[in-house]
Amino acid sequence: MSARNWAFDRPMTDQKPVILIIDDEELMRSGCKQALERIGCTVLTAKDGAEGLRLAREHKPDAAFVDFKMPGMSGMELIEILSKEIPEMVLIMITGYASIGSAVESIHKGAFDFLPKPFSPDQLRTATRRVLEHRNMKIEANRLREEKAQMEKGFITFVSHEMRSPLVVIRQSIEALKMIGEDRFDDQVRELFEKCDRRIKGLEEMIEHWLDISRIGQGTFTPKQDSLSTAGVLERSIDELSPICRKNGIDLETTISENVLKLTGDEESLVRVFSNIIGNATKYTPPGGKISISARSEGRSVKIVISDTGKGIPEDKLPYIFDPFYRVKGKDEVHRGSGLGLTYCKKIVESHGGKIQASSKEGEGTTFELTFPGHIDSV
Amino acid sequence: MDAKKKILVIDDDKDLLFATKLILEKGGYEVFLAEDGKTGVEMWKSVSPDLAIIDMMMETWSEGFSVLEKIRSTETGRDRPLFVLSAVDLQGPYQSFQPPDNYPKVNRVLHKPVKGEDLLRFVGEELGIR
Repeated sequence: MSARNWAFDRPMTDQKPVILIIDDEELMRSGCKQALERIGCTVLTAKDGAEGLRLAREHKPDAAFVDFKMPGMSGMELIEILSKEIPEMVLIMITGYASIGSAVESIHKGAFDFLPKPFSPDQLRTATRRVLEHRNMKIEANRLREEKAQMEKGFITFVSHEMRSPLVVIRQSIEALKMIGEDRFDDQVRELFEKCDRRIKGLEEMIEHWLDISRIGQGTFTPKQDSLSTAGVLERSIDELSPICRKNGIDLETTISENVLKLTGDEESLVRVFSNIIGNATKYTPPGGKISISARSEGRSVKIVISDTGKGIPEDKLPYIFDPFYRVKGKDEVHRGSGLGLTYCKKIVESHGGKIQASSKEGEGTTFELTFPGHIDSV
Repeated sequence: MDAKKKILVIDDDKDLLFATKLILEKGGYEVFLAEDGKTGVEMWKSVSPDLAIIDMMMETWSEGFSVLEKIRSTETGRDRPLFVLSAVDLQGPYQSFQPPDNYPKVNRVLHKPVKGEDLLRFVGEELGIR
């Protein structure tokens, strides 16, 4: 007997691979058993579907060879059941002569491959090796994927904390400076502090957005799938931004149609998206201007439109506004945002299955249109 | 003339302690600092301040909680005002720390960084000054 090949061993253990043979012919069962025991496998045998199912559930073999034509439960049926119940088990359909059609069908039902009769012990061994290798790789890939996700999750959390802490300290120090300076500092000094503070806030925002975008990109961001009241979500953003609209003399008009469909998703992210867009509007709309927010159903979708009467975006810049760090440079660029706000918005909207579009006319205003699939109540 | 009211600040970040101290001193308070939970509790007992501000994000989250519990279980600490400081929660940027009902009593939850005027106003409300 050849030295044990690590590729056969059950992953993470030193145990022999376990193979289940399900065939109504005694000769087949004993022949396969002998052939595979030769290469260091533990072989279980069953003479029909029912016994096969029982053994599979009890022993969770690494792989099973299932005969297509059996009395009682057919091989196809068995494969369908096993692939659902024990997905980690690799299934091979043993097919009769000239039944390629069923062989292909078996793959659709969950078999990894098929082995046409008649086959030699060597052919069986080769097939088994292939199957076990495949299984080991799948398990390894899953393990690595999980490990990577965990590491990234931990990394993201760690980085976010590490990056936020110094910013918190700096901002608190600026607060202290403002307090102790008070009358001693002239307006210019105070203004410098304000500028520093604003930039740091922008940096903090950028970190938040970057982290969320990273999470989405790596698939570790799993938005909730709650059913949300469209009006409720919009109102939260509107409440957040009304004080600044009042302060800047901007009129805020809301039109939410009464029977607008619900949204599906993550409330917090969506609130942030709307707050971001409305917030941008407040930055670029002069006093006396207006921001209009509307929501209505369009077929099975929810359409939300946020438009302002602000300075607008030049036509040649419009296609790029969702790009990371793209800023429409203006001469009077007072409000330096994170540069990731709209990138973030687009990612969140798309991860909710929605679309976001912007249209604008310089000197007249900008309109953002967001379309989301309406919530479908599960039956 | 009334003696200055005493405030104890417990936070593992020295720079944050420094900044907070300056703000509170500007408000006319005498400020004591502790860089960790153990020192914080000891100082509470020895100094007997009128109010304490405790950082909930020291080393481990449970350290802040433990300090809170220990102070509340002292004679002087039972009813005096205690504020807790939280930074942004690690789990999500907009989910801030809110103590559940069975927590030792917390008079206010502050979020770092705290605006100078706000801090002085809140402290003033508790200690009846300004």
